[in-house]
Amino acid sequence: MKFIFTTLSLLFLVCSYGQDTIKIASTLTPEQQAELDYNQGLAALKRNEFMPSVELFNKALLAKPNFDKALYNRAIAYMQLKNYNAAKSDIAAATALSPKNPEIFFTKSLIYFNENKKDSQLMALDNCLALAANHAEANYYKGMLHYEMNDWDKAIDCYSKAIAANPSYAYAYNDRGSAKRAKNDAAGAIADYEKAASIETNHPFIYNNLGSAYRQQKNYTKAVESYNKAIQQDANYLIALNNRGAAKFENNDLAGAEADFEGVLKKDGNNSQAYNNLASIAIVKKDYKKAKDMSARAIQLNDKNGPAYFNRGIARQMLREEEGCCADWKKAKELGVVAAGAYLNSDCED
Amino acid sequence: MAQSIEFEKDNFPGKKDELREARKQLDVGMEFFMEGKKAMDDYKRYYVGEHKFLPVSRYDYMDAGGEQFKQAVAPLGTAQKFNPNNARLNYAMGIVFFNIDHISDVALKHFEKAYQLDPNVEMDLCYYLGWANHLQSRWDEAIKYYQLYLTKLQAKPKLFAMDIDDIAKKISECNVGKELSAKPERVFVDNLGVNVNSSFAEYGPVITADESTIIFTARRDNSTGGVKDERNSFFEDIYISTKQNGKWIASKHLSKNINSNEHDATAGLSPDGSKLYVYRYQKKDGGDLYESTLFGSDWEVPIHMNRNINSKFHESTVSQSFDGRRIYFISDKDNGMGDRDIYFSDLDVKGEWGATKNIGNELNTKYAEEGVFIHPDGKTIYFSSKGHKNMGGYDIFKSTWENGKWTTPQNLGYPINGPDDDVFFVVSGSGKRAYFASAKQGGFGEKDLYRITFLGPEKKPLLGTQDQLMAMVANPVNNLKMEAAVETKSAKLTILKGVITDAKTNQALEASIDLIDNEANLVLATFKSNSVSGKYLVTLPSGKNYGIAVKKDSYLFHSENFIIPEGADYQEYNKDVALKKIEIGNVIVLRNIFFDFDKATIRPESANELDRLIKLLADNPTIKIELGSHTDSKGSDDYNLKLSDSRSKSVVEYLIGKGISAVRLTAKGYGETKPMDTNDTEEGRQNNRRTEFKILEK
Repeated sequence: MKFIFTTLSLLFLVCSYGQDTIKIASTLTPEQQAELDYNQGLAALKRNEFMPSVELFNKALLAKPNFDKALYNRAIAYMQLKNYNAAKSDIAAATALSPKNPEIFFTKSLIYFNENKKDSQLMALDNCLALAANHAEANYYKGMLHYEMNDWDKAIDCYSKAIAANPSYAYAYNDRGSAKRAKNDAAGAIADYEKAASIETNHPFIYNNLGSAYRQQKNYTKAVESYNKAIQQDANYLIALNNRGAAKFENNDLAGAEADFEGVLKKDGNNSQAYNNLASIAIVKKDYKKAKDMSARAIQLNDKNGPAYFNRGIARQMLREEEGCCADWKKAKELGVVAAGAYLNSDCED
Repeated sequence: MAQSIEFEKDNFPGKKDELREARKQLDVGMEFFMEGKKAMDDYKRYYVGEHKFLPVSRYDYMDAGGEQFKQAVAPLGTAQKFNPNNARLNYAMGIVFFNIDHISDVALKHFEKAYQLDPNVEMDLCYYLGWANHLQSRWDEAIKYYQLYLTKLQAKPKLFAMDIDDIAKKISECNVGKELSAKPERVFVDNLGVNVNSSFAEYGPVITADESTIIFTARRDNSTGGVKDERNSFFEDIYISTKQNGKWIASKHLSKNINSNEHDATAGLSPDGSKLYVYRYQKKDGGDLYESTLFGSDWEVPIHMNRNINSKFHESTVSQSFDGRRIYFISDKDNGMGDRDIYFSDLDVKGEWGATKNIGNELNTKYAEEGVFIHPDGKTIYFSSKGHKNMGGYDIFKSTWENGKWTTPQNLGYPINGPDDDVFFVVSGSGKRAYFASAKQGGFGEKDLYRITFLGPEKKPLLGTQDQLMAMVANPVNNLKMEAAVETKSAKLTILKGVITDAKTNQALEASIDLIDNEANLVLATFKSNSVSGKYLVTLPSGKNYGIAVKKDSYLFHSENFIIPEGADYQEYNKDVALKKIEIGNVIVLRNIFFDFDKATIRPESANELDRLIKLLADNPTIKIELGSHTDSKGSDDYNLKLSDSRSKSVVEYLIGKGISAVRLTAKGYGETKPMDTNDTEEGRQNNRRTEFKILEK
């Protein structure tokens, strides 16, 4: 996942935010040599050749220590090399030289993003937006931060600003749709996903999310249709296959659901969610032994799978394993499964 | 169709001697059978005369003819072995086994065989086929045979009017059974195990609110006196078991204070576990209720309850309200709704049980009610009845007090109730479990005690699904739908328990515990801690501001305050109380003195606490006290000092106004200078806001 992001980000940054190539003079003064090195460094950066780009920016900066653009682009290269301290050091130097450049703050926010330092990321985004309130990407990333904090209203507000700045911003439509869905506004979410799909016609994620919004409306026919589109676009898109199984499960098509979850496991035998979902089917069929085994396998594969602890708790209760059941619900509650807290209260001793 | 084969020589060529022996055994067995049947019929006539309807459950026959039926088994069995295809013999054996053990399906097999050989061998064969199928929960088969019998009865509707009513009731029960067993309740029903149950009958469980102790009735061969009653069963005795490490330990007899050579049976237990109601039977009184108090670890000799409760008729189970001011009990006294009914009585001003009242026809029917249990919430009543929407015999029902009346009783459903008697149902303080007696198959013998665990509504599994943000970095959103709250079966309680000791010696103390409704300024109930262990247990329904005052002569009282909001979850508090002697320097916190917010005005709900202080001062006229008032650390030092000073003066003025000499009282405001807890939490700050008194002179 992270890899895909960084690749996307890199393209995004180089195309949109890397500083423009500088026009080179015909006779090379030290400053001109620095500019030549800089341009070669930028070309290497665009080719994803990060180490060579760093070396070229180094040369440029040796010749011209206050070369703010070289500092900035070297920061980007360092960020791709995951040398975040060096990247931040360059950003700090670039900021001192160009304090009014919103892009420097935006890049800084991405470094913190990669370091998973959300408070610092938010501060850098705010600095960027203070200089450029209509910065579409900064608004988009700020929306994502709020989304991660489950602050749906603020997320929607930021995504909306991103869309206002860039009306073709498919990502922002998609993610705003997910924020609306989290607020149980399935109709609003569907409108956003449909808009995102009209801009990015071949993105399976969007159809997956659209399917989930229809599922939320209990419109299982449309949900399955949307998941089908996602799967057609990417036959190995197991999240959509799993979600389609969930739609069938909720529509009482247990056989169809089971086939989808089994299909996920055929392609990825270590898919924790699919095992947990098979456990859900076993619970409905009152096959509690199988439910316990399936959810245990899900936990073995991902010990942060809250629904799997929750389901194993249900199975264990019916198998009369009182202590194990309550321990599972306790763990599920710790992992954020709200219903587990209610069962702990009603069915377990202190 | 197979044909009935008579015991005649033409039917058994070459078996003359065996036939002679079989006929001999048949004659002997049939004689016992006829005697048993006659005893049954006689009892039935007597029952009809008393009740104006036919016996509803098997137990209503009081084992009439039982001994004769038992004696018929061997000879009829010998004859049956020789000739298994005689309709009348199969009918007789069906009746015999039905009366000896109607839970087993042996009787049903004989009835079916008899019907196969000759459906008209006896008019009531279809009746018994219906009933035997009914008791095996074979609802459709039962209805089929009941209908066949009904057709026969309807040929003479006047003569068989009562039988027709009986069959109509039984068909209705089968329809209810069919409906309820199709939607079983989500419960676990567990036998309490070999340490509680035995091959003899156990029933009448009563349980402490915290489920640590169970007391019950059994008819075991180690019964006190070791003799049997007229039904050839051992006399009833009362047994007890306690829970250790979550398991019941081997049950033992209660002492001879409780168990006599006659019938001694559990009738009820007060919510605090300090009073045991006992049923004792003497022919002249029809069975009466007695009350025993726990003294240390033993129960005192039971005292006969007064004439408002006991009559010449049969009185049985008792259930006491949480505050001890009302009891509900069962009696079949005259002028009821019919058979056994639920009655109630309130304590009068002298502390005696007052005139009894029938609880009314919302709950009582012309048929019998038994096993009444009022939940400590005071609003939920459980009882067994044969006259509501039943599946057969006694079923357990629940009703709640709403808008000034009891709601229509609700059958607790299958598998709590079945086609046979289900009775003596008691609920734990938490409402999560209940206990009852049942003659279910698979037990240790006769009736056993069972525990019900309520599982609440079906628990829906949780799927794992994902949304995807385009940048694929946000946490995947799991579809964690929030579930509705579990309905628990009853209103929520708080259980307060602990040990009362002498603060200096740590010796357990028998002290009285007043439970006060502060808002109504009313002592709701008074309990006593155990004289040997010092243990106490008080149940507090939600929705009140409670004051708790622990008192003992020559000690300073101790007070606690519990504000339990309406609908608060079940919880247990352990509160050990160390009582201090009246000695100079001893300090007592007055937890139930309340002031208006930010003012020195004493709120009316403080009256009971202040009256207690006044009584202490009146009973000990030489003591002088300091009234100290404390605040938490919110607000400035000066402000807190002034507020506390005003509040301590308010208390002193109140006491002077009630006749306490001013020279005995000193007011002092301490502000926030003497915290007894942290000021960093709301709980700590609440503890710090307090009024206390200190003994200055004695």
